[in-house]
Amino acid sequence: MPQNADNVLDHFDLFRQPEYREMLANKKKNFESPVAEAELQRVVEWTKTWDYREKNFAREALTVNPAKACQPLGAVFAAVGFEGTIPFVHGSQGCVAYYRSHFSRHFKEPSSCVSSSMTEDAAVFGGLNNMIDGLANTYNLYKPKMISVSTTCMAEVIGDDLNAFIKNAKEKGSVPKEFDVPFAHTPAFVGSHITGYDNVMKGIFEHFWGGKAGTAPKLDRVENDQINFITGFDPYTVGNVRELKRMFDLIGFNYKIVCDNSDVWDTPTDGTFRMFDGGTTIEETEKAVHAKATVSMQEYCTEKTLKYIHEEWKHEIVPFNHPIGVKGTDEFLLKISELTGRPIPDQLKLERGRLVDAICDSNTHIHVKKFAIYADPDMCIGLVSFLLECGAEPTHVLATNGSKSWAEKVEKMLADSPFGQNCHVYPGRDLWHMRSLLFTEPVDFLIGNTYGKYLERDTGTPLIRIGFPIFDRHHHHRYPVWGYQGGLNVLVWILDRVFEEIDKNTIVPAYSDFSYDIIR
Amino acid sequence: MRQIAFYGKGGIGKSTTSQNTLACLAQDGHKILIVGCDPKADSTRLILHSKAQDTILSLAAAAGSVEDLEIEDVMKVGYLDIRCVESGGPEPGVGCAGRGVITSINFLEENGAYEDVDYVSYDVLGDVVCGGFAMPIRENKAQEIYIVMSGEMMAMYAANNISKGILKYANSGGVRLGALVCNERQTDKELELAEELAKKLGTFLIHFVPRDNIVQHAELRRMTVVEYAPDSKQADEYRTLSRKIHANKGNGIIPTPITMDELEDMLMQFGIMKQVDESQVGVVAAAG
Amino acid sequence: MSLSAPETIEEIKQRNKELIAEVLEHYPEKSRKNRAKHLNQFQEGGKDCSVKSNIKSVPGVMTIRGCAYAGSKGVVWGPIKDMIHISHGPVGCGQYSWAARRNYYIGTTGVDTFVTMQFTSDFQEKDIVFGGDKKLAKIMDEIMEIFPLNHGVTVQSECPIGLIGDDIEAVSKQKSKEYGGKTIVPVRCEGFRGVSQSLGHHIANDSIRDWVFDKMEGKPCPIELTNYDVAIIGDYNIGGDAWSSRILLEEMGLRVIAQWSGDGTIAELEATPKAKLNVLHCYRSMNYISRHMEEKYGVPWVEYNFFGHSKIAESLRTIASHFDDKIKEGAERVIEKYRALSDAVIEKYRPRLHGRKVMLFVGGLRPRHVIGAYEDLGMEVVGTGYEFGHNDDYQRTTHYVKDGTLIYDDVTGFEFEKFVEKIQPDLVGSGIKEKYVFQKMGVPFRQMHSWDYSGPYHGYDCFAIFARDMDMAINAPVWGLTKAPF
Repeated sequence: MPQNADNVLDHFDLFRQPEYREMLANKKKNFESPVAEAELQRVVEWTKTWDYREKNFAREALTVNPAKACQPLGAVFAAVGFEGTIPFVHGSQGCVAYYRSHFSRHFKEPSSCVSSSMTEDAAVFGGLNNMIDGLANTYNLYKPKMISVSTTCMAEVIGDDLNAFIKNAKEKGSVPKEFDVPFAHTPAFVGSHITGYDNVMKGIFEHFWGGKAGTAPKLDRVENDQINFITGFDPYTVGNVRELKRMFDLIGFNYKIVCDNSDVWDTPTDGTFRMFDGGTTIEETEKAVHAKATVSMQEYCTEKTLKYIHEEWKHEIVPFNHPIGVKGTDEFLLKISELTGRPIPDQLKLERGRLVDAICDSNTHIHVKKFAIYADPDMCIGLVSFLLECGAEPTHVLATNGSKSWAEKVEKMLADSPFGQNCHVYPGRDLWHMRSLLFTEPVDFLIGNTYGKYLERDTGTPLIRIGFPIFDRHHHHRYPVWGYQGGLNVLVWILDRVFEEIDKNTIVPAYSDFSYDIIR
Repeated sequence: MRQIAFYGKGGIGKSTTSQNTLACLAQDGHKILIVGCDPKADSTRLILHSKAQDTILSLAAAAGSVEDLEIEDVMKVGYLDIRCVESGGPEPGVGCAGRGVITSINFLEENGAYEDVDYVSYDVLGDVVCGGFAMPIRENKAQEIYIVMSGEMMAMYAANNISKGILKYANSGGVRLGALVCNERQTDKELELAEELAKKLGTFLIHFVPRDNIVQHAELRRMTVVEYAPDSKQADEYRTLSRKIHANKGNGIIPTPITMDELEDMLMQFGIMKQVDESQVGVVAAAG
Repeated sequence: MSLSAPETIEEIKQRNKELIAEVLEHYPEKSRKNRAKHLNQFQEGGKDCSVKSNIKSVPGVMTIRGCAYAGSKGVVWGPIKDMIHISHGPVGCGQYSWAARRNYYIGTTGVDTFVTMQFTSDFQEKDIVFGGDKKLAKIMDEIMEIFPLNHGVTVQSECPIGLIGDDIEAVSKQKSKEYGGKTIVPVRCEGFRGVSQSLGHHIANDSIRDWVFDKMEGKPCPIELTNYDVAIIGDYNIGGDAWSSRILLEEMGLRVIAQWSGDGTIAELEATPKAKLNVLHCYRSMNYISRHMEEKYGVPWVEYNFFGHSKIAESLRTIASHFDDKIKEGAERVIEKYRALSDAVIEKYRPRLHGRKVMLFVGGLRPRHVIGAYEDLGMEVVGTGYEFGHNDDYQRTTHYVKDGTLIYDDVTGFEFEKFVEKIQPDLVGSGIKEKYVFQKMGVPFRQMHSWDYSGPYHGYDCFAIFARDMDMAINAPVWGLTKAPF
């Protein structure tokens, strides 16, 4: 018996003990009807070939290990960026259990969200009663300041009309007439989680600025000097938003982060559970209509929202693509300086110098190293920009939810840099495609989310965890990746892995440890 | 811009009525957009002189998704510059046609199809069978619904059902029942029945369109009567209908649909239905 | 309500009564009536727990429940390792459940095993409008080309499939024929069906009956049989649970011919009707197929509980009672073999955990099954409830709980938070959605679905891990730091 009360073996040790190994080998041999070892090895090797890659890339119907989620997830992310707001997802209840688990696993935080719990009868008769009862219960139990309604694919297929349902529910007294219930249709079979974020943001602006679904006058915009910032669906929102605020306070101008998730995804353990924390207030959201400009940190998360703000409200709109690194931050700050007429303070210039200093100290370890990247479209662009300025080659750039126009944008970035030659962009592809890429055109490092660890296991490509979700490393979301300070974090995460690899490759005594250097 | 919709039981002559009416409005100088919301995609053929135009959904399926389409791919221009789009949908028995209607209308709105038109008219399949087919009566869509019906029992049953659909959305949104249009089938007491049903639903019969074979002659040529034979009596009928609809702006009402029993009582009153002998219900015919 | 801790059973019952009343007060009338039926406390001698169960959740209250898809793909089918499970519909369901349940297995993932992968038909608008059957057929073809060593395919329906009327059964039959009779199982587990995961379990069980068992009729048995063949049913091998259970059954002289479904294979499913006895751990999720095998193939089944040394010993003897003396002696031998380990675990951890109070809210069997393990450590379960239990679960619970135990069926976020706030247990055992809520409140917590990425907890070897984990949760120094000294 391998177990011991004084030195308790965990699963990763326990099941490697001889008794268990023997048991599992017998199970396989006697009962599993396993594939013959030679055949298994033949196929293992075949999956590494160009032949397999071609067949894999010829897939038209099957998706394997995609790097994207569905609209409603983004809807929930956007909703909780507003003060006292509870996301209410109209449709099947299992979906909500999934979104809540997903966010809790990434942020290591509670994730509050309710469902209208539609079942088979609602599929036939529509979910109006679920909306009526659901809004009443949510309002009474959780005392929110706002309820943000979105939909699952079930409600979308049967064609439930949120506008009419919410009005009906208000007629029935589920929530007071004047209580804010903005809504957005977020069909899971269109776009991805970034589309859901976009739809909810647009829905909230339409609600507060555009006359609350015909129940209030449209706002009159009186342009002022405020700049609105929309961050997009951002896994680093906690660190990033705080870093933005710090930089903006240094510059000193009138700004508002509209949809601020930095507190709700980072609440303290002090004896009190905060279902709500921080967030943009209703008043601030309304006042944001007067801003002279709206900046999006992630263009592809805000396509419809920016169009609406520009066309209906005439804001100057400024889209960025998750800016990471020196040039990305330079462009970002210069634009803010131009918008506000304020100079970029010396403190930020100093921080810039420190980031450049750090790159200068270490870039030899990254220079001409080949990287594969997958992430949401905007983050891919931020990472590509940063790698190029470190002299690395972003050989494969993949976004399952990337569009053709996104791909063209990245291709242009690559074409414009000597380090981007022979690099390729893969919109709409999944991580099983990436697996073939890594086997047939190997790279030195892979940047991606937690699921990249399966690619590391199969192809041996070391994974640097940046993206969403990150389930198996803790607390990185509390660090910024934006600003010069954020660039430093990304640099360190990359370097740590680079050095670990060198150490791992040189650790064998009397064989390779001459290079197991104490100074690198 | 005024948005109206034609609803009615399948086969009632809804598309013929709507296209002739809209052609008359175009003759009177109005700029028209027709949005066909029937998977059969036959709401625009008389205007376009074609068998059936390429639908939004079939083009989207070919291109990948609706995001890959441009408005000019889906919009065709026909008689008197009437703009035509067909939502389209799946073959009978598969997929979800209702969702197709939602997809198409969202696409049209987002891509500016409604700019610079006086009338948007939705032509919607049979009954409000699911949420998708109610899309045209949601808030900020059609303001008035015209139900095309006849003196046949099922047509009246459908008209009542459509009224129920309108009622559901009337309080929260702004949709109203415009009126009934009776397309003559030459059934007994048809006019009186239509007027009685209209009264029960809280509305009125805006026009009684008589039956005339010239409609079939025009259809064989894939034309509206008003284009094929503008001076015919039937063209005058449609002209009258179109002008009545034009004048009916803002006069829509919230319908008061009736129960199945009330509907049956009404039919019995007019002698269309015989008193049901409860003892015979469910009894099979005697042998021989 | 007084804040001082209740002492006597009467005081506890009075407190629970007041607490339930207080919680219900916050609901609107209609929901209050509904929820009142789900909250109660166990009365000594009761034949169930006097709560309603397996009823639709109230909208808008933050139920912890999932859906039928989660019950089929996530629980029953997903762990079958040599088959490919297609999440059929939009991308989300498969994405959120991707490798999240720790169903351990041995195999070369992506080549001969596929559990920790996400296969999806990634439905787009056009698939909804025009139907998804053609796409599904093409997916099957692509699977056969790119994953040639698969031993079968299941189609796990997401909500839209049932709404748009796709005929996945026809596609599955057609493709099975085309690929030489390969097992292809359509599962109608759309998320809107039923009221929780539970119907998904049932639907998945039925799909095994209809598309695996019925298909094998007349085929020869793939393995040589013995008189000691058993199948482990309803163990999903979370963190390795089925392995630390299997080893005990084998040590007592039995031969485990199948695992349902953790680390399981289609070959094992097919062999199961030949077992002499089915041993059933998670009654809730697999009683259906166990009953079917009893009726159709005459395989008896017996429930067991491998949490904590007392229940393990009891269960080993119960299982052995279905066999001859050799096995009965084997059971005693196994109990004896592990006695020293159990004693050492108790000796080390009981003093650290004695008298600590626990509140549970979990899924299929754990709201009752783990109570014995806590009691082995001198701990007391003061409240428990099921996410998706039925009345037969609450009946079985009466054998475990004490008089005055608070019972909450399909508890809402609001209720659970209030109950814990007032009762102030030393430990809450529930899921990921609840974990951080209670930790923020300063209450130690263990995830009792995923074993909080530790475990497993089944069997003697892993009772040690269970004890260590509970100690680690409750006695962590961090709980002394939650209040700032200023």
